Amino acid sequence: METKLKSKALDEFIQVASTIANPEIQKWKDNGGKIMGYFCSAMPSELITAAGMLPFRLRATGSTGTELSDSYFSSINCTFPRHAFNMALKGDFDFIDGLVIFNSCDHIRRVYDHWIRQLDTPFVKILSLPKKSGAQQVEWFRSELAILRENMETQFGVKITDDKLKEAIKIHNESRRLLRELYELRKSDNPPITGAQTMAVTVASTAMPPERYNQLLKELLDDVKRAEGNTDYRARLMILGGELDNPEFLKVIEDLGALVVTDSVCFGSRLLWKDVDESIDDPLTALAQYQVNERPSCARMFTEYEKRAEYVHSMLSDFKADGAIFARLTFCEVWGFEQYSMINDFKEWDIPLLCIDHEYTLSGVGQLRTRVQAFLETMGK
Amino acid sequence: MDNTDLSTLGRKEVLEKSLTRYRKERDWFQMFLDALSMMPELSEEDILQQKMLTILLESKQTVLDCAENNKPFIAGYFCNAPEVFHAMDLPWYMLMETPFLAASAPYLADDIKGTEEIGLGSDLCTAIRLPIYYIETGQMPIPSAVLGLIYPCDGAPMLHQVMMHNKAWKDVPVYAADPPYTSDERAIDYFADELKRMAEFLQKHTGHSLDMKRLAQVCEDGNKTYSKWQEYNELRRAVPCPHGWSIGGPQAFAVSQCFVAGDPKCTDWFEQLVKCAEIRVNAGEGIPGVKERIRYFWFDIMPYGWIFELMPWLEEEWGAILTMDMFGNYPYTLIDTSSEEKIWKGLAKRNLIDAPMIRQARGTAENFSNDIRRIVKDYKIDCVIWPGHMGHKDGSAAGGIMRQTCRELDVPFLQIGLDLFDRAYTNPDEVKDKISKFFTSMGLG
Repeated sequence: METKLKSKALDEFIQVASTIANPEIQKWKDNGGKIMGYFCSAMPSELITAAGMLPFRLRATGSTGTELSDSYFSSINCTFPRHAFNMALKGDFDFIDGLVIFNSCDHIRRVYDHWIRQLDTPFVKILSLPKKSGAQQVEWFRSELAILRENMETQFGVKITDDKLKEAIKIHNESRRLLRELYELRKSDNPPITGAQTMAVTVASTAMPPERYNQLLKELLDDVKRAEGNTDYRARLMILGGELDNPEFLKVIEDLGALVVTDSVCFGSRLLWKDVDESIDDPLTALAQYQVNERPSCARMFTEYEKRAEYVHSMLSDFKADGAIFARLTFCEVWGFEQYSMINDFKEWDIPLLCIDHEYTLSGVGQLRTRVQAFLETMGK
Repeated sequence: MDNTDLSTLGRKEVLEKSLTRYRKERDWFQMFLDALSMMPELSEEDILQQKMLTILLESKQTVLDCAENNKPFIAGYFCNAPEVFHAMDLPWYMLMETPFLAASAPYLADDIKGTEEIGLGSDLCTAIRLPIYYIETGQMPIPSAVLGLIYPCDGAPMLHQVMMHNKAWKDVPVYAADPPYTSDERAIDYFADELKRMAEFLQKHTGHSLDMKRLAQVCEDGNKTYSKWQEYNELRRAVPCPHGWSIGGPQAFAVSQCFVAGDPKCTDWFEQLVKCAEIRVNAGEGIPGVKERIRYFWFDIMPYGWIFELMPWLEEEWGAILTMDMFGNYPYTLIDTSSEEKIWKGLAKRNLIDAPMIRQARGTAENFSNDIRRIVKDYKIDCVIWPGHMGHKDGSAAGGIMRQTCRELDVPFLQIGLDLFDRAYTNPDEVKDKISKFFTSMGLG
């Protein structure tokens, strides 16, 4: 799809999303700043921002192989951690001063085990993220965050006060609010921004200083509001799934004439659909509450399926999607079984759904094109 | 694939269908028990099997009786503190056990195909896919309540997600204790509270009450069982090992945790097991007809879908003895019954940190490497085999760490890559070939 949107801010977001050590990272390091890496949406970036550090979510953008990590993982492991750890072994993440990992899934949690054995990053922690929601789980996760805060204070010689945390929550909520504003514009009949472009914007939110991000996002919103909408699309689609951080994946779909109008993926709407509650007096409780109970959940969260299905259904309806593509990384059990449940719900809703299993790197473009093309045709588009 | 449209069946037909395999299993146990009772003289090992079959038969029959007569029973897991169910006099079956039933063995290939036909990806764990298929096709007894399992792997909770979405199961109340990833005192306290809430849930949904004095008694009876298990495992250290893959190891796990946990019947079985092992150890004998040449540590579940095609071959062809396996391992501590709090903490530790597979796969990879270190030394292990069930993705992702641990111990390590149920995934001949090449290249046997 030919995009009509011209925006310097967007160009910058695209650059950030398509590289690892982007210019903002370089600038931050040159100014003596520290960077905390993390895997998984469950990381409250606010804690890192409040420590005066830059939160950076690890991706494997640009990775071309797993030759170094293959001796640690196996061929039945997801390609995302294999590529990411391969890049780590090659030194591509040497700019991070610390790393926080969660027991997010069976593959990512083993990255922690290999990282602490093979690399000398001075601060590497794994946090225990509950697998269900509830008051006791919020309390547990709050205590995990409190321990992390204490460890970060000791390691980096900083004080992460409640006031600093509250300020950080405000900044990150501002990012979420602005992003939701961007998503709102995609509800129109002629959305002025494509799915691939939007993904570049959301990915960039995890790889640059939040204040700078918010400033650029405001500029982008001005540009998007002025831009001519996309009219020449064949179908409006929603993207579902877990880890997906490559705008090029969506571009392949959109180059076939579809327009991705919304999503429920890890680097997409689930990051921004709700705010951290600023009225809660204890900021750590607010963050724990947000991650465990409030924000649209990951498929790993037991008992939350009905809410996730409701979220997807309302997204489909609000964004007037004609159909959806469920993109799952091969060997991912969490999203594999979720896919099965969703298939049945989509049948009940009578909404077309295409399920695609793919590798982390965009290796099967031809197959992806063929399947999406056929899907659009079966939809009569 | 079973294509029966469940919506066309009446209540009784649905019930009958859900119990078919369990009845077959019960009848199978009954047949073996009858055969044993007809033997003119029973060896000590026959008596051991007779005691085991009696426990199994009683467990299956009780669940069937509840299902047939509308009495409360639950589905749960061995790591849901089964001592609590026993103390509550609450019959239960293991939610994930259907593919492990002997009665399922003839149908596994078709069932696996069925999982794919209903839309479950072939890269997803068969131990989860199959129970989903049985739920979706009405082939599992529908209990009064379910205790879910949301660890140690990603697939486990997804089984319950699908179950809660199934029309026939969606009204069955479900509770799952949330497992922390850590193993310190704070984690045990948190999990103990989760177990207390589990007991409240069971009381609410089954009408069975929990008397803490009764739970203390069950735990004390369980302590006797576990003490015997520890005694037995010490006997397995002997060279030659008194038993191989078919006696002891996984049976010990099943008897202590899968049917009636904390019952004198279990202790009785273990006493017989110790007696059998002692006879051989005192005589300096190993498995009859097998000259022990290799002592291996099988660090996972055995491939129950095609177990008879592999495990006997290892003994016969290579003199390779399964000296220890993941489920026969004994890392347990006895439960202190001196106060209610200590009982809950003891149960939390056992079910969060000690229970097999949970112990290794729930947390960080030290849990794999530490077990390898201890077992290799304690049991004079010649090689470690990580079979690498295709669903155990966290374990496969820890393969590099296991290999490194074995290198440090100077003990050969083999990672195979197979499916517990699907013999077509890596067929038995290919597995045998891999093992033979490994033994040969390492100079074993």
